[in-house]
Amino acid sequence: MIAAAGYLSIVVALVSSGALVVEAIRHSRSSQPDPARLKLPVLGLAIGGVAAFALLEIAILTHDFSIAYVAKNTALGTPFIFLLAAGWAALQGSVVLWGLMLAVFTWIVWRGLKKGDGLGVLALAIMGAVSVFWFGLMATAANPFALCTEVANGFCAATSSLPIGDAVAPADGIGPNPLLANHILMAVHPPLLYVGYVGFTVPFAFAISALIRSERSMVWLARTHRWSLVAWVFLTAGILLGAWWSYEVLGWGGYWAWDPVENAALLPWIAATAFIHSAIVQRRRSMLQAWNFVLVIVTFALTIFGTFLTRSGVIASVHAFSLSVVGPVLLIFLGVILFGSFGLFAVRANTMSSSPRLDSLVSREGFILVNNLLMTLFGFTIIFGTMYPLLVEAFTGREVSVGRPFFDRVAVPIAFLLLVAIGVGSTAPWRVASGKVLWQRTRIGLNVGFVVAALAVITGISSVSVVAIMGLAGFVIGNIIAFYFHQASRSRGGGKSWPSSLLSTVRNDMGFWGGQVSHIGLALAAVAIATTSVLAIRTEVPLTVGETAVVDDYCIGYIEPFSRVEPERNVQGARVAILDSSCENTRVVLEPRLHEYPKFGQVIATPQVWTTWVDDVYLTIAAMDDTGIRLKVLIFPLQWMLWVGGLTIVAGGVLALGRKSRRPSRTSKTPDEHERADA
Amino acid sequence: MPDTARRLAWLILPVAALAVIVVSLWPGDQAAADPEARAYHLAISLKCPICAGESLAGSQTDLAKDLRVLIDEQIAAGRTDEEIIDMFVANYGEQVLLDPPGTGWGVVLWAVPLAIVVIGIVAVLGLRRKDKEPEEVPT
Repeated sequence: MIAAAGYLSIVVALVSSGALVVEAIRHSRSSQPDPARLKLPVLGLAIGGVAAFALLEIAILTHDFSIAYVAKNTALGTPFIFLLAAGWAALQGSVVLWGLMLAVFTWIVWRGLKKGDGLGVLALAIMGAVSVFWFGLMATAANPFALCTEVANGFCAATSSLPIGDAVAPADGIGPNPLLANHILMAVHPPLLYVGYVGFTVPFAFAISALIRSERSMVWLARTHRWSLVAWVFLTAGILLGAWWSYEVLGWGGYWAWDPVENAALLPWIAATAFIHSAIVQRRRSMLQAWNFVLVIVTFALTIFGTFLTRSGVIASVHAFSLSVVGPVLLIFLGVILFGSFGLFAVRANTMSSSPRLDSLVSREGFILVNNLLMTLFGFTIIFGTMYPLLVEAFTGREVSVGRPFFDRVAVPIAFLLLVAIGVGSTAPWRVASGKVLWQRTRIGLNVGFVVAALAVITGISSVSVVAIMGLAGFVIGNIIAFYFHQASRSRGGGKSWPSSLLSTVRNDMGFWGGQVSHIGLALAAVAIATTSVLAIRTEVPLTVGETAVVDDYCIGYIEPFSRVEPERNVQGARVAILDSSCENTRVVLEPRLHEYPKFGQVIATPQVWTTWVDDVYLTIAAMDDTGIRLKVLIFPLQWMLWVGGLTIVAGGVLALGRKSRRPSRTSKTPDEHERADA
Repeated sequence: MPDTARRLAWLILPVAALAVIVVSLWPGDQAAADPEARAYHLAISLKCPICAGESLAGSQTDLAKDLRVLIDEQIAAGRTDEEIIDMFVANYGEQVLLDPPGTGWGVVLWAVPLAIVVIGIVAVLGLRRKDKEPEEVPT
């Protein structure tokens, strides 16, 4: 019953998106395109998308095991939050969530269109075409409402592709993959990432619409600016939470492993980061028009490429849970997007107005170009490194792997260069920066950087790379804060108080200052990445009850073992005290555990972390028996700074959303705030 | 003169800080890397042979646990990193290396990013205004 209704919703959304494509193209050709006429297909798509998702969740929450997806991914004992999350935790459900977001975004875009908006109406046709693909996928290869037609050994053994015919339901479902049901962050991380992924459909649709209509203006860019930023914010938050989940769950203290699927999430982020930077150059200086088309197409294509990597199983990865026909279908879709978009781009390239040239490399736009160059290099290297094993195997039949050492070696120098470019570039004036102005705007940061590096050395850090990153971070943050006070003091001319001038400085240009907040977050995160990877302490200590061992500045004492039975799992743990180095005063008691999932025959070591301002103490049980435990003790200096830095990057993006709309300074009559302040 | 003095004052702090940094970090007798750090470095450079894309450090499988113990034992027995890596390649083939050697096909892995850098730099330089001097701008 739910299955039939759910499938019907998918069909409604599919038919509506098809109708949207046809109708939107037809209307966009008229002299006064009227979006109100597209109401029926847009509402059909939105209602179908919402209903499909809601019905899947209802089926999961009511334990309707006659639906194969529900039987496979949930069980009677699954906790509520992971029941909810099961709606998007596996392939078919994730496609439903994707469809839901796409349908809602299409509806939001449609609501914002006014009469006569040909660009927007044609963009709706593009979004409709993308929806046809996703809902088509749901209706065929990835049907979330497929019925269970045969039960063997209590499991669903066969499914029907259409929700017609007699369904049988196993008494209980299998339940979610233990790794996915082990931590609350797993429920939040995928939807955030998906809002980011799907959000880039909007700028892509407007860009393609502008290309088809040969619109030379940058209207498409200005109108989708907020969409790009919102998508970027969600993508950043999604990646951050994924890293956090990995740190909290996987038991070895790693937050990034350069796994192909992690790379798949990072790639659109890199392209999007390049895009939101180069979009500023186009808005302010009318440069890089063609390049922005390339970046927005690449960003969108990389979201599909990422999904392909995750869902096709073509590349071995811990994240690749499924093998199905969805892979080839996604690959074909990716090919259509790339050939279609770049074919269109090639046809239209000669009609684009020529962009103004760069006055000087030493200028704001020059440094943004450095950012774009580094991001392009980073992105290509990651794509190439990820696909390299596949290529070598295809050509030579040899099996090779590319992993963390390779990517680290590329990422570290890029990170150094990026920090330098941010430190100098974010406060550099547009067009041409004279040596004098550059020196004025960087000397305070330079001092801060050197002092921070010297302090780091004095506190006993002997790694050159960590000291260098800390110095660079001090340089970046010092420059930005100094520039902030400089600008605020200029605006105090009217006798304003410090607090109000500091506030109004940010209010006057929230896009710029939001960006600077993100830059500060990036500098903090870079420091944490350096300290946690270079200065970490890793050791394993055998302990019997009552015994203590000294690790670094801490004393670790084994108090007692414990065990309990929880829904779907058995828990075995150790109560472990962390004391000061004299082994006298207990500072905290942690309970690292082993979670056994009988249905999966899997035991997962669940770490526990104690965070202080100095470092994280990370405990995992390596082995446990009646005589004692082998405890893995990991110490990560300044780990908190990674999460704070990451959240600061996100916060900067949110702040930038509050920006006032600005026209490019070339045509604008109001003088640029920064230039005026320094005149 | 006071102008020059002020400018020089801006340099005192960085120069002093730089002196502290250089003196403290001057490479002296580098203590041999401690065995646990070496073991971890090896574990993140080697792929867990039965896992899907996980390194020995990241995997929770029994084989990965055993191999981590093996690395510890080999280090304790005085083997160098190269000897341990060679042993893994001999046992499990080239695919255990998460860092492909820069020979043969490995050259391509480095040549492609380098080519991108060169193309990118040429493209950025090509964007520069060639026809006239930069205009005066208020700064």
